[in-house]
Formats: sequence, structure tokens, C-alpha cells
Amino acid sequence: MTLLSHRRLSNFMDLERMRQELLSLRVVLTKSIHVCTGPGCAAKGSEKLYELFCEAVENADADVEVQAKGVGCHGLCEYGPIVIVQPGEIFYQRVEEPDVPEIFRETILRGRVVDRLLYEDPATGKKAKKAEEIPFYKVQQRIALAYNGLIDPTKITEYIAQGGYSALAKVLSSMTPDEVISEVEVAGLRGRGGGGFPTARKWRSCREAKGSPKYVICNGDEGDPGAFMDRAIMEGNPHSVIEGMLIGAYAIGSEQGYIYVRNEYPLSVERLRGAIEQAKELGLLGESILGSSFSFDIRINRGGGAFVCGESTALMASLEGRPGEPRSKYVHTVESGLWEKPTNLNNVETWANVPHIINRGGKWFAGTGTEKSKGTKVFSLVGKIRNTGLVEVPMGITLRRIVDEIGGGMRDGKRFKAVQTGGPSGGCIPAEHLDACVDFDELTKLGSMMGSGGMIVMDEDTCMVNVARYFTEFLQKESCGKCTTCREGLAQMLYILDRITKGEGEVGDVEELGNLAELLEGTALCALGKTAANPVMSTIRYFRDEYDAHILDRRCPAKECRGLFRYEIDPEACKGCGICLKNCPEDAIAGERKAPHVINQEKCTLCGTCWEKCPFTAVLKV
Amino acid sequence: MSLHRSTKGLRKGQPVPTVTIDGKKVEVEKDATILDAAKKAGIWIPTLCYHQAVSSDASCRLCMVELDRGEWRQLVTACNYPVRRDIVVHASSERAQQARRGVMELLLARAPESKELKALAERMGVMQTHYPTVTESQRNCILCGLCVRVCEQIIGQAAIGFAGRGVDRTIAAPFRQPSEDCIGCGACAAICPVGTIKVRIHQDKHEIEISPFKSRAKLLVCQECGEPIVSTQVSEQLLRKSKIDWEEFRERLRFCPKCRKSQSAARLGAATVYKKQ
Repeated sequence: MTLLSHRRLSNFMDLERMRQELLSLRVVLTKSIHVCTGPGCAAKGSEKLYELFCEAVENADADVEVQAKGVGCHGLCEYGPIVIVQPGEIFYQRVEEPDVPEIFRETILRGRVVDRLLYEDPATGKKAKKAEEIPFYKVQQRIALAYNGLIDPTKITEYIAQGGYSALAKVLSSMTPDEVISEVEVAGLRGRGGGGFPTARKWRSCREAKGSPKYVICNGDEGDPGAFMDRAIMEGNPHSVIEGMLIGAYAIGSEQGYIYVRNEYPLSVERLRGAIEQAKELGLLGESILGSSFSFDIRINRGGGAFVCGESTALMASLEGRPGEPRSKYVHTVESGLWEKPTNLNNVETWANVPHIINRGGKWFAGTGTEKSKGTKVFSLVGKIRNTGLVEVPMGITLRRIVDEIGGGMRDGKRFKAVQTGGPSGGCIPAEHLDACVDFDELTKLGSMMGSGGMIVMDEDTCMVNVARYFTEFLQKESCGKCTTCREGLAQMLYILDRITKGEGEVGDVEELGNLAELLEGTALCALGKTAANPVMSTIRYFRDEYDAHILDRRCPAKECRGLFRYEIDPEACKGCGICLKNCPEDAIAGERKAPHVINQEKCTLCGTCWEKCPFTAVLKV
Repeated sequence: MSLHRSTKGLRKGQPVPTVTIDGKKVEVEKDATILDAAKKAGIWIPTLCYHQAVSSDASCRLCMVELDRGEWRQLVTACNYPVRRDIVVHASSERAQQARRGVMELLLARAPESKELKALAERMGVMQTHYPTVTESQRNCILCGLCVRVCEQIIGQAAIGFAGRGVDRTIAAPFRQPSEDCIGCGACAAICPVGTIKVRIHQDKHEIEISPFKSRAKLLVCQECGEPIVSTQVSEQLLRKSKIDWEEFRERLRFCPKCRKSQSAARLGAATVYKKQ
């Protein structure tokens, strides 16, 4: 392990030599166990699994050469914890602690597959041995997540062995800053944080801006409910973000970078911190990187938990130590950003794409996607579908393929109603537009947006008015309160939506929501306020009938809004077990044993206890 | 993106950009605001959180005007949009007026009791709001933040600031307690556009109170008539800041303006009398 003893790499050849050495070392270790330690799997106890595998490796006979490693998110969180065994890329799902000895004995020692731990297709019943045989993975194309699940994120050597930092070496040894920007321009990379602004144009503006020093920032303040794309990258492959920032800094002419991570992601902070330290030890960060004249350093700042701090100017205010409130962007941040210096901010996923673009060329990257949206996009796919998890798909793929093929269709045989994209300020796209493709402009046309990549699938039991109310409430709570329209306008919208979902809606409410939405879009200070009406407007656009049902008929078609539907007992299905009667807190249910029970509608407070408790699903919402 | 094209808009031999506002052409200095241009053109744009003495925050959103970008029009705040090239602005277009009226209605719902706000609304043609009052974290305060800025930027005390977030946002001294840094100067009350901040004089205790912050300061009392003048801290700061080390000046600060005037008159009278003799 000569080169692995962490000596400083003083030139580009050193990096390549180190990589070759690492690769030759890997040849010896053909057997390895990859335990997913991503957020989903970790929540299901995968860290304990990792420890057990490590123990098993240690206790194994001396002639068994095998390693266990904890890797980043695999994506198929629904089936976690996931363990992949090499050779053969055998994909084990829902692994539990008692399975560890069996996997070790059978697969590692005897080379046999443990059949019961394989993924089984719910539709065909066919078992899949490898990840690529599973429909969830088949449709995906991984660039930003390419090494997630392959490498141990705590070891820089693993990243280097995969070719990590070679893009940096290429840039420093053979490309001018302008060439780097041109390559990114050819790639057609657009900001993955939500806005979709052309990355190369931003870099160029910042490069050309007067003033020094210049700063680059990585926005890791991922705040959308249910989204964990950036987290998976920061925790699964932190070096890809650092390498991307290094390349961007070289192109822009910056020597100082910041990664702003939300404090709710302690593991991301830990992984990034470790990665920065390791990169510094090897001379890949700090003074004269790889022996060149380029110097760059990165600091990590932790956010305090405000959603609005994901907005670039609020983020910079927070970085400066001021309250995280946005300011007008009439003067762009590339000209006057952090401490009023030229600042280039990109999202985690954007940065992670950069090394791939440099290594494989802008043309290669632009080969995927639509005319104006190139490459891939990571989504966290959640909601009422079978396969929830983290997915990376080529731009231009239809929403239908994401929901049906990757997501595996709706859960419990329910009917699809809408897919919400773009986070809290995104919109809901109904079934008739499921053939729309993932593309910045197309999603905007539909009244939603790409956003940073949240995707929530809803079924027939979801009330769209309530969805709009939920997101409006979220945004109203997260509004910083600086500007009148966002602070007061959202409160007014929420007030109206609250009334509608309580059955107190009035004729004209929908029009009033429209007026407020227009006011928000036109006059709010930052993007949070300007897009805050999207959930309301998109649901009005596609689900107006549901609003009308609430307002005119005092009825919630999805039977979600309390008070706008009744509970009744189906006399056919009721076995007269008495469970509902016993549990009803209002004594509103009557009935003899073994005879159908009846709910007294006057006494019923619609708490839903009977509906939850009935073992025969005889309690119906009508 | 517009900013890089901005300098191209300046033709040779014409160093100042022109703003065409509602058809009127005015020349302004580079980086002046649309509001500056409007003032020069004699066009009134309502403002609340703007004051020439302090930095612009653009938080009240009342000064919305339409910026004509040729193919499309964009609503911008006049108080802080920097003019960097020749631009065309519509301050009285239907969309701009509607936006301003909408913002005003939201503000009226928040602070329905403010006479000053009502007067401004009426001047804008907004006779009433059709929104209910759903937020009121601080009575009649529209959270424009002028008081916060004047206290920090002009007085140099930063005794008050924003507390809370969103609809719970209020203006308060730290921990919502009476401020230890407040010198009782009353600048916040003077600048408040809606009359929410008030100065109260407690004659019995010789104290000045800034309401609603409950901050109090001792008053300097006129040595002649006993009327309160200013808070002791204000007079101290005035001396410190003005750097006038002149005994008579310090002496004169101990009298109220009225008594000072009569003292001067008396002295002047005495001098005149002396001359006559």
C-alpha cells in the first residue's frame, strides 16, 4: 500500500499512478459486500447489518479475501435494506440481521444465491438476481448517482479508483477556463435546484463580473418535504460534489467555496467534512492543487432549518450570518452575491454532473434528454406507488414511465389521480397529462415545475383541495415574512382553503384564490412567494370539480376532508363483532351482537375510529 | 442577465441612461432607481417602506411598476430597481395599478385602524379592502421595517429588529423586552409611515417611552421651565457625535428650545440696549 498511505499528489501523473495501484489492488479483492447505508436503508437498520458483515469478514478464515463496505443510497428504498454481493452483483432486498450469516455462508463462501432474499416482480412473480433485471433500475440512467452504491463514501481511494478527480486533472492540465465553460455549454447543463438556469451562462457571467475575490457555493439546503436527492449524493458520493466545485471554481476564477448544508443532515455534514479532509491530505484541495497554480478551499456551513434559505440570496444572507431573508435580484448574485462579491451558486446535483461532463464530453451529455433539457434528473419518488425511492432518469422520459415502470404502478390497486412535481411550490399534474415528458419547460407549461426533484404520486383517495391546502400551509409557515404579498397573501389563501376544506366555502372563493395567485406571482419578492400559488392554481386548473364539490355540494369527493362525508356501516359486510361499537368514543354506534350495526349520524363526530378499527372494512365513507 | 447587456444600452456620448416613464423621458444618473426617475418626471408612485434616508428593502411591495422588456413586461419595485441602461417603464398601466391596489388591500386587512394607511389607500383609489383580517402579530404594524433601518443606519443603535417569522413576524427589542440600547430618540416613531410607533411622555417620572416597544429613557428637563426636552442619552450622544467641545453649547442644551429662544432674545435685547446707550 505504498501510494495509499496518503501522500500528497504533486502532479497529474501521481493521481493516475495512484488509480492504477488501487485498481490492481482491487483485482485481489473480487469478493465484496455492499451494504446500503442511505437514509431509507439506514432507517431500517442497515448500519447494524454493515457491522455484522464486518464482523463476519473479520472472523472468516484467513484464505477468504472479502471486504464489507457501507455504500450510498441504491434508490429502491421501498425494498431496503439492500445488500449487493460481488462478484455477480447479486441484489438482496429486505435483508434482516438473521440473514447475515446465511448470505455470508452461502453467497460469499459457497457462491450460491439465497433465493428468498431476491427481488420478486409483484406482477410476474419472476425473481431478479441483479439490479439491472429489476424494472425499477432498467429504465433509469445514472450520471449524478453513477457511483452511489458502488463506492464507500468515506474513502477517497474508492472514488479515485473509479476515475474520480481525473476530470479535475484533465481541466488543470489541458483546459483553459473558457474551454471548461464551453464544454459545460455544449452539454446544455441547466441548474438542478429548480430554476433550470443554464449553468455555463451563470459561470461565464461570474467569470466576467468585476470584483474579487469570487465565491462558489454549493446549495445543499434541500428542504422540500419528502425529497432526498441531494442528501443521497452528499452522503453517497461527496467527492463528486467537491470535484464539480473545483472545476467550476477553476472556470470562474474562485479560490474559496462554501457548501451550505441543512443542519438536519448531520451525516451529509460528516461525509462532506471527511471528504474535504481527505482531499486536502492528497493535495486535491488547498494550495497549488496537483502541483498547479490553482488553489481552492471549501468550507461547510450548516443551515438553521429555514426552507427559504434554499433561495440563493437568503442562503447568502445566512452564510454571512444574517437572518435568512431574500433580497431583490435586480442585481444578480454573479455580480454581487456573498459579501457583495461575484458569487456563483449551484445545486448539489448540478455540481455532481460536472466531472462527468468534463470526462466524457459535453456532446456525450447532450446526447441524453430533450432539445432544451439535457442529461438526467434525479427524483425522489414517493407517494402511493409500489416502488418508492431515489431514481435518476433521462430528461424527456414520460411521467407515465416513471410512475408505471419505475414506480411499479399504484399501490393497493388504486387509481392514479395526480403526480406532484417541483416540491411545495410545484404543481399537480393529472392523468391526462401523464404522457408529458420530464423537461424544464414542459413541466412549467403544465403549471408545475421541475423543481429540485420531488415527485409525489397521489391516488384517488387524495383530495386535491386538501393537497393545495397542505402545501399552502407549508409555504405560509416557511415564508420569512419580509414581503407583504407572501406574508399576507399566503395567509389569505390559506384562510380561504381552510374554509373550503371545512365545508364553509363560498361561491367566488376559487376566483379569489386566482386573484391572490396572480398577485403573488407578480409582486412577491422571491421565488418562494412568486411560485407559492402553483399548488393551488394547478389543482384549480385540473381539478376544479373537486373545488366545486366542496363549495357547492359541501362534499369531499375523495372523502378526505372531515365533515364533508359520512361514515356508514355496510350491513352486508358487517359481522356484528362489536369492535366499532366498543371503540366509538361518542356511543354513536348501536347494534346487537352478530347483527349489522348502525351509526347514529346525529351523534357521530366523524372521528373515523370505527373506520380504522373495523376488521371487515364494513365501515364505509360515503 | 440584463446587467451585462446594460452598458450596451448607453450610446456613445450619452453617459446617462434615460427612463421613459408613462411616456415622459427623463435622464437619471447610472444606478439611480425607477422611483428617482419617477420623481424627476413628476409621477407619483406610492411607497411605504421607502425613505431616502435609509437603504431600500423593497419589502412592502407597494411601489410596483411595469418594466417594458420589449417582448414581455415584468412587475418590478420602483424603489430599488437600478437604472443601468435606457428603459421603458409603465407606472400607470392597468397591471401596475392593479398590483399596487392588491398589495394595498392586503395591507389594509392587516392594519385596518391606521389613519395614515387609509389616507394613502384613498389617494390610490382604494376605498376599502375586501380581505378579512387574518394576521395581526402586532397591532397596526405593516412590518415595513423603516424603524429597524433608521435605528441601525442613522441612529446607530440597532435597538429594535425583526423577531419571529412569516405571519408571526414582529418588530421588537431583543427577547421582546424593553430595550437597553434604546436611547429614546423617537426616530422610529418619526419615520413610521402608518403611525404605529408612538412617543409617550411620562411627566410624573420624567421618562420618555417608545410604544409599543415599552423602552423607556430618562428625560432631560429644562432647567428654567421644567418642561422635558429630550432624553438624557440623546443629548449625550449629540454631544459625543457633534464633537463640539464648547462650554456654552453644553450649557444651552440644558434648556428647552423655548427657553433657549427667550434667553437668546433677552441677550440680544440686552446687547441692543447697550449699543443704544
